[in-house]
Amino acid sequence: MTAHSALNDANVTPLVQPVAHTSAAAAPELSGMLRVLTCGSVDDGKSTLIGRLLWDATDLYDDQRATLERGRRVDGGNPDFSLLMDGLVAEREQGITIDIAWRYFDTATRRLVVIDSPGHEQYTRNMASGASHADVAIMLIDARHGIKTQTRRHAAILDLVGLKRVVLAVNKMDLVDWSESRFRQIEQDFRTLMWRFGFREAVAIPVAAVSGDNVAVKSKNMPWYTGPSLLEHFEEIPSRGTEPTGAFRMPVQTVLRDTRADFRGLAGTISSGTVRVGDTVLDPVSRRTAKVQRIATMDRDYQEAIQGQAVAIQLDIDLDVSRGSVLAAPEAAPVVARTLEARFVWLSETPFDKRGSYLVRTATDLVPVTNIDIKSLLDLESLAVHPATSCKVNDIAIANVALGRATAIDRFAEAQETGSFMLVDAISGATIAGGTVTTASPDIQQQDNVFLLTRDMLTRGLCSDVPNTPEGEAEYRRRSNEVALLLRSAGVAVEVESLPDYVI
Amino acid sequence: MTRQISHLDLLESESIHIFREAAAQFRKPVLLYSIGKDSTVLLHLARKAFWPGKLPFPVLHVNTTWKFKEMIAFRDHWVKEFDLDLIEMTNHDAIAKGVNPYDYAPSIYTDIMKTVPLKAGLDQYGFDGAFGGARRDEEASRAKERVFSFRAEGHRWDPRRQRPEMWRLLNGRLGAGETARIFPLSNWTERDIWLYILREQLDVVPLYMAKERPTIERNGQILMYDDNRLPLKPGETPVMRSVRFRTLGCWPLTAGVESTATTLEEVVAETLGARTSERSGRLIDHDQVGAMEKKKQEGYF
Repeated sequence: MTAHSALNDANVTPLVQPVAHTSAAAAPELSGMLRVLTCGSVDDGKSTLIGRLLWDATDLYDDQRATLERGRRVDGGNPDFSLLMDGLVAEREQGITIDIAWRYFDTATRRLVVIDSPGHEQYTRNMASGASHADVAIMLIDARHGIKTQTRRHAAILDLVGLKRVVLAVNKMDLVDWSESRFRQIEQDFRTLMWRFGFREAVAIPVAAVSGDNVAVKSKNMPWYTGPSLLEHFEEIPSRGTEPTGAFRMPVQTVLRDTRADFRGLAGTISSGTVRVGDTVLDPVSRRTAKVQRIATMDRDYQEAIQGQAVAIQLDIDLDVSRGSVLAAPEAAPVVARTLEARFVWLSETPFDKRGSYLVRTATDLVPVTNIDIKSLLDLESLAVHPATSCKVNDIAIANVALGRATAIDRFAEAQETGSFMLVDAISGATIAGGTVTTASPDIQQQDNVFLLTRDMLTRGLCSDVPNTPEGEAEYRRRSNEVALLLRSAGVAVEVESLPDYVI
Repeated sequence: MTRQISHLDLLESESIHIFREAAAQFRKPVLLYSIGKDSTVLLHLARKAFWPGKLPFPVLHVNTTWKFKEMIAFRDHWVKEFDLDLIEMTNHDAIAKGVNPYDYAPSIYTDIMKTVPLKAGLDQYGFDGAFGGARRDEEASRAKERVFSFRAEGHRWDPRRQRPEMWRLLNGRLGAGETARIFPLSNWTERDIWLYILREQLDVVPLYMAKERPTIERNGQILMYDDNRLPLKPGETPVMRSVRFRTLGCWPLTAGVESTATTLEEVVAETLGARTSERSGRLIDHDQVGAMEKKKQEGYF
């Protein structure tokens, strides 16, 4: 017998038989993974919805079930499902969710990763960071209240970070007498709202989290609804990592060597597309190409590798590329950019400072910023854009970012992993903002009185001890970054001379 | 084109990515090695990340001197086999003063014998980043942990001051006095760890497999009587039982389960069928409400 047979309350017995992992043979590797973000405000019953999903459809442990039983509310029959999702002591005391929490559970075929994000307005940044890791988002609303300003705000954040699939869970249907007309009205409002955004798929599902209606199984109270339950819908979404999209990109993380075997592998994770042995790949900064000779891992060599795989690529000729480079398909190369137009979510409590020292962290490069011009802010209530010159925590800003040297970067719409970046405070190291590139340009933003930090100047003095190797180049880059930042914090606009064709 | 990649492949690639990012971004990282199954997977992934090179960092083991004897033997074997650079830290002062796992409350013992020497080791060698095998599925406060988790001066963890992480980007730039903990296994579950050990045919400490071992029963839990340092209470006599362990720590604080699973395959089958989360066998976590969160704030891993 399964453990939950001890619970005799019909309301809380799981509605779907959980996966019974009784032998290794019967518990093979799961065929995939789906990351689900939940967003909604505290009162909408979000933690309850997820708790219910875990309770009904997955492999919860006995002691976790016991915890829920202990948390059973005095007023009623159901356990407090929200206890599964709320973590930190401070949060339990306040009764709100202030940070994103990760939960893992397995259905019969796949791993579901639930990323729970807070719904409060002041935690827009947490939601944005949670959403950036997700494949699909559940937006939860109360059927009595319908689409609110907050739903719009959430949709805007999801769209910004590149999420393509959303589900509107219309909760507490029991409190509107399972009314179809109420649901259809909300569904219509939702469709209208979704037209503004770039979602690939947006569906609305009527649910009642507390009783489990349409969560893991179809509701008997809403025969008029013929669509899938929440769980059924999730099972149909393609798994993470099964659909390589876009042109080949691999940001180089490090160079691995084996001197005995004459091996020099450019190590990284393929961030988009596919690569095969024999393919020609480009280092955009030096504009040089080479052929892929070997795709190596400790286990075996591959003839082909796809998006998401961590490998080491050996080229037929030595391109002298190192960390920070992006290997790319030559026919669809990234821009070697000096200026970005970007949208970003301001994550830091410290507001934007025109004279602050910032760095842009791309997939594997770290580039000093010479100037940021905030152009406008996105008003999440009206979805209108208003001119602005500064921004603060939880703002979504549109800005021009001038880089201290060129780096390979994509438009976010074309390649998410090589088209996103973090803005980092050079002094505290803090992550200041998460950004997506809308336009990348090789042109240098026109500025008056820019001090040019030339290579000649650096190699004669500060970098005279730096060897002429890829590692040396990385160290050279690090030092020039730091000098640029110091000068900038003293109010001097500065640019670092880029390398002529990257020849060392 | 659609193709199927198993969730273990996805997790493996993600962990390798994290290892490579951290090794590139931190000046002097170290791998915290605790000999258990998670450490075994952690070490295996680190070797994959830097293959064919040698690990570009040392491994640090905090030895309380109360680890199971088989754990230390296992550690020494693989340190030699993989040519690892091992650093061992022990709080000898506390041992001299008689600190032990049976007279002291588990939370105090853990702080003195684990947290204190861990911090001392990190400070002494100037490590700025430490890889650990913590997983988000282990415990509620860990569910909110970042992959790069920052510690203020004195190694204190402030849950309200953690850096947001977005997409696959990892920011390891440190502020003054800061160090980082790096968790490449963040998104793995206990189930994944076992399935991966089975798939990769990794050697684990034999204590994970059932065997007749000298045991005593105390407070309803079965403890292995690994040596005679633990004073027996009236009525307690070591008896042979076929037991195995789901987690490994200091033997007087690690409860075993009665089992006949003697092979890795049987253990995995039994574990995947088990209906209790693994930390229920760890006595230190039940000490007080929010125990793990408190320990973390004080600098525990």
